Amino acid sequence: MRISTSQIYQRAADGILDQQALLSKTQIQMSTGKKVVTPSDNPAGSAQIVELQHSVDLTNTYQKNIDTAQAALGSEENALSSSTDILQRVRELTVQANSGALSDQDRQAIAQQIQQHISSLLGLANSRDGNGDYLFAGYSTNTLPFNQTAAGFNYAGDQGQRFIQIGANRQVAVGDSGYDVFQAIKNGNGTFATSYNNTNTGTGVIDAGQMTNLTSWVPDTYTLTFITPTTYEVRDSSSALITSGTYQSDAAIAFNGIQVSVSGAPAAGDVFTIAPSSNQDMFTTLQNLANALNTSVTDSTARAKLNNDINQALTNIDRALDKVTNIRAGVGARLNSVDNQKSANGDLINASQIALSAVQDLDYTEAASRLNQQLLGLQAAQQTFVKLQNLSLFNFIQ
Amino acid sequence: MADLLGIGYSGLAAAQRALTTTGHNISNVNTDGYSRQTTELGTNPAQLYGNSYLGNGVAVTDIKRVYDEFLVEQVRTNTSSFGSVDTFQQFASSIDNLLGNSSTGSSSGIEKFFNAIQQVADNPSSQAARQSLISQSDSLVNNFQYVNDAINQQYGQVNTAIKNSVSQINALAQNIADLNGKIVLATGAASGGTPNDLLDQRDTALTNLAKLVAVTTVKQDNGAVNVLIGNGQSLVVGSQTQTLSIVSNKYDPTRYEVGYASGGSGNVEISGQLSGGSLGGLLNFRNQVLDTSKNALGRVAIGIASAINTQHHLGTDLNGALGGDLFTVATPGAISSSANTGTGSVTSTLINANDLTTSDYKLLYNGGNNYTLTRLNDGQTFAINTGGSSPYTTSAMDGISLTINAGAAVGDNFLIQPTKRGADDLSAVITDPSKIAAAVPVIVTTPLSNMGTATAGTISANDPNDRVAIQFTSSTTYDVLDQTTGVTLAQGVAYTSGSNISFNGWTAQISDGGTPPSAGDQFYVDQGVTTAASGNTGGAAINQATMNPPDPGLTGAVTITFTSSTTFNVSGATTGSPTVGVPYTSGGIISYNGWNFAITGTPSSGDSFTIGPNSNGVGDNGNMLKIAALQTKMTLASGTATFQDAYGELVADVGTKTQAAGTSHDALNALLKQSTDARDAVSGVNLDEEAANMLKFQQAYQAAAKVIATSETVFQSLLTAING
Repeated sequence: MRISTSQIYQRAADGILDQQALLSKTQIQMSTGKKVVTPSDNPAGSAQIVELQHSVDLTNTYQKNIDTAQAALGSEENALSSSTDILQRVRELTVQANSGALSDQDRQAIAQQIQQHISSLLGLANSRDGNGDYLFAGYSTNTLPFNQTAAGFNYAGDQGQRFIQIGANRQVAVGDSGYDVFQAIKNGNGTFATSYNNTNTGTGVIDAGQMTNLTSWVPDTYTLTFITPTTYEVRDSSSALITSGTYQSDAAIAFNGIQVSVSGAPAAGDVFTIAPSSNQDMFTTLQNLANALNTSVTDSTARAKLNNDINQALTNIDRALDKVTNIRAGVGARLNSVDNQKSANGDLINASQIALSAVQDLDYTEAASRLNQQLLGLQAAQQTFVKLQNLSLFNFIQ
Repeated sequence: MADLLGIGYSGLAAAQRALTTTGHNISNVNTDGYSRQTTELGTNPAQLYGNSYLGNGVAVTDIKRVYDEFLVEQVRTNTSSFGSVDTFQQFASSIDNLLGNSSTGSSSGIEKFFNAIQQVADNPSSQAARQSLISQSDSLVNNFQYVNDAINQQYGQVNTAIKNSVSQINALAQNIADLNGKIVLATGAASGGTPNDLLDQRDTALTNLAKLVAVTTVKQDNGAVNVLIGNGQSLVVGSQTQTLSIVSNKYDPTRYEVGYASGGSGNVEISGQLSGGSLGGLLNFRNQVLDTSKNALGRVAIGIASAINTQHHLGTDLNGALGGDLFTVATPGAISSSANTGTGSVTSTLINANDLTTSDYKLLYNGGNNYTLTRLNDGQTFAINTGGSSPYTTSAMDGISLTINAGAAVGDNFLIQPTKRGADDLSAVITDPSKIAAAVPVIVTTPLSNMGTATAGTISANDPNDRVAIQFTSSTTYDVLDQTTGVTLAQGVAYTSGSNISFNGWTAQISDGGTPPSAGDQFYVDQGVTTAASGNTGGAAINQATMNPPDPGLTGAVTITFTSSTTFNVSGATTGSPTVGVPYTSGGIISYNGWNFAITGTPSSGDSFTIGPNSNGVGDNGNMLKIAALQTKMTLASGTATFQDAYGELVADVGTKTQAAGTSHDALNALLKQSTDARDAVSGVNLDEEAANMLKFQQAYQAAAKVIATSETVFQSLLTAING
């Protein structure tokens, strides 16, 4: 086949240019460390890379969120733990105060300590986190949750609970409102509460009572009236007679699936109330206790009233402790699940990065050997050209 | 008489001409498009001497160029094909690089924006986090506009390149026409001989023209060549040319098209008919890569802006006000053709971004009340009948609706571009950090006086994009069911033809013009698009819904009071029914006024729950969490793609087209080289060959000179013999 002179030069030049282009591509790959430099290098791979990168970024964001969640739950746990300590300390003092050997002054001293504890508890309820937001104010994180007025304890926060996204489809609550932790505590034994009438003149002391048969319990306000010091009647809110009987100190008075007992010597006309449990915040519980301890005991009736008050206080403090323990268990569970999610996220990030590396990263060994090969090719092309262009018949014609 | 002198001289002259031709070949070894010339030699007519013929020397019969027309045409065709792909690949690569670059591409911009959203969700009352979100919103917009600007610049570059190509084509055409004229004259003057160099020059001009646009050549008898482009438009006829010009696109004066002077009707746009060469490559690139990319980018921008805006409207900011727009959403474009003769006009409204495609649409007026809307990507048509009303608003098609004002003339065209300006018109609206609506506007409060064990779950605003079914239970009552969440929004609502039906922040009307709906008829509102069930037997129809979330009663005070542990009454609700004696199940979702939440546990009779405005909820991140969730929600391409998926599709699409162009480029380059080699093998000059020829003719010249010398010696001998 015939070849023209310009073809000879053109072919040689093309060969060199082609080798240079390949070499340049390899060079870019090696300097960026990536196999896929532009999407056109591997369109399907590019799309995969974008996806994987997105997955890694998103999961890293979830990890950051988890840090925030852990900090918030940690702060809450601390406050709840301290609250538990205070409630337990107050309980010990209360048991102490029940001793008949104490004088009014002794009890007043205890009342003062309890007053201090109420302030501390209030302080814990009004805790703030590192950002200055109130922990137990619900969504109203700029508003002081609890304050005390002459009328009682006020909650100015709301009942909101904030969630944080820790995984693709997982959110975790990072707080509990002051309403849930400190306020919405059922008094008495949780189902019903017993109380005495202030006008009682006897020395009867009623216990907290217990549930014997939940299905027979009819929620209503029941009045236990002593007709005589030895006979009693139990009537419901529409004055229907439920049960009556002879009174014996410490004997069970049972009706409608519950039983209560009275000890001591009630007088005729003394009234005790058994009502369904209602909500009472723990500050009010403690304040009622302090007030009762500050009242001087002048006679056995007053003593009986004191005993009744202390019984109520102990029961209600137990309810408060139950509530805080309950909330703490929830916080604990959340912290656990957050930990699990954190390591699951970590695993996902690792897996994604491995996949990403497989698609995107250059195999340097292969690239280096390819580079050498292409350098050789370029050299060969250049040297052949030099040799060829020297050959011409005109060199030999005189 | 045959004489030695004459014969010798003929040999000399022939050798001289052959040497000249060889010299000409050698000098032109590097001339583009030169075909080597050979000297054809033939014997002079012999003379009769007695009964034998005496030869009479040699004459040059022709100087021919070695030329294969088929091979030259091959080269020309392959030049066009390669030129087209070469230009396409060049331009496509720069878009490819732009989109694939992770720091300039929009994928990381979207990622960073949603990170900032998460930060606000982690700490909603923090001014710093909010300010950071505002900065990231600006960054996101900048990011989109950076890519968009680069695309716009490419449009400008393509325009310039088209302009240059057109003027080059015109210059070459003129050149070819001139050469035609010269060749015709030269051919005539030579009466059969070929003006080789002129022919080569014309071939070169034609090949250069082929680099710019594919051409067809038709040889004429007088030696001229006519040149046709496109679908048979003549560019050169003999020594006359038609000029190509730049005309504005009928819908966009900034978009250059190629115009052709056609008889009396001025300049006609022929861009669609041109192919091949760099001009063809430019036009292909603009249609297949630039237009598609700009539309796809626009769709992502519109998708993000509208989805985030809708959710933001369902939240409350630090001042207790409902959220406004975070971004501006581009309005779909509707442009009348400059060739329209009527007075009709069209505008377009966005209904939902989810159904948007990346295609442009053409609306054609057929006469009467009939229009045809064609989706340009795949040719799918939609028939529209305005029924005579003007303005007439169509139902939703592919996420948009059209409002047509009558007055068009038959054959008038309108171009609808729903997403073209998506990135151009994207901007961040909010500058005040406290205006970011992170909180849910309502909150549930459980009074301490409740005796039961029922607790309220988290409350949120209904999503206006939920699919809601309006189910007629009789011809005068209907139930409303949110099919996306399964929540019943209303039951036993009294139906009046034409009155407003509003739920979740949209409002629609069902009217029946006298023929009421039947029991069992259903109508749906889904992402703002209203449809009727195909099995409806009644005579009612639903019109296009308007979206204005949230429900106007969202933050109104509502109280739920339990009359027993299994029933409750609702007071204060303005949307939703029934409100008296509603049955309660633990965990069942309750929805009124556009909010929903669940109560779990056992309430006691008399227990209540109050729903009211979340006035103080600066620490509430409920709405931020919903906005954050949009990142992984399939909100585009009819629910098959997230924002990043849609952007990824764009990158992959350009990547694939660039890769394909690269492969074609290599293949066509090889083909072009092959055909060039084939042509050169026949017509190219080989210096060694010419050197050998030179030696050959040199020897012939010397030998012929010797013949003349011999004839002189013979003559001298004769003279000497006569003179004695």
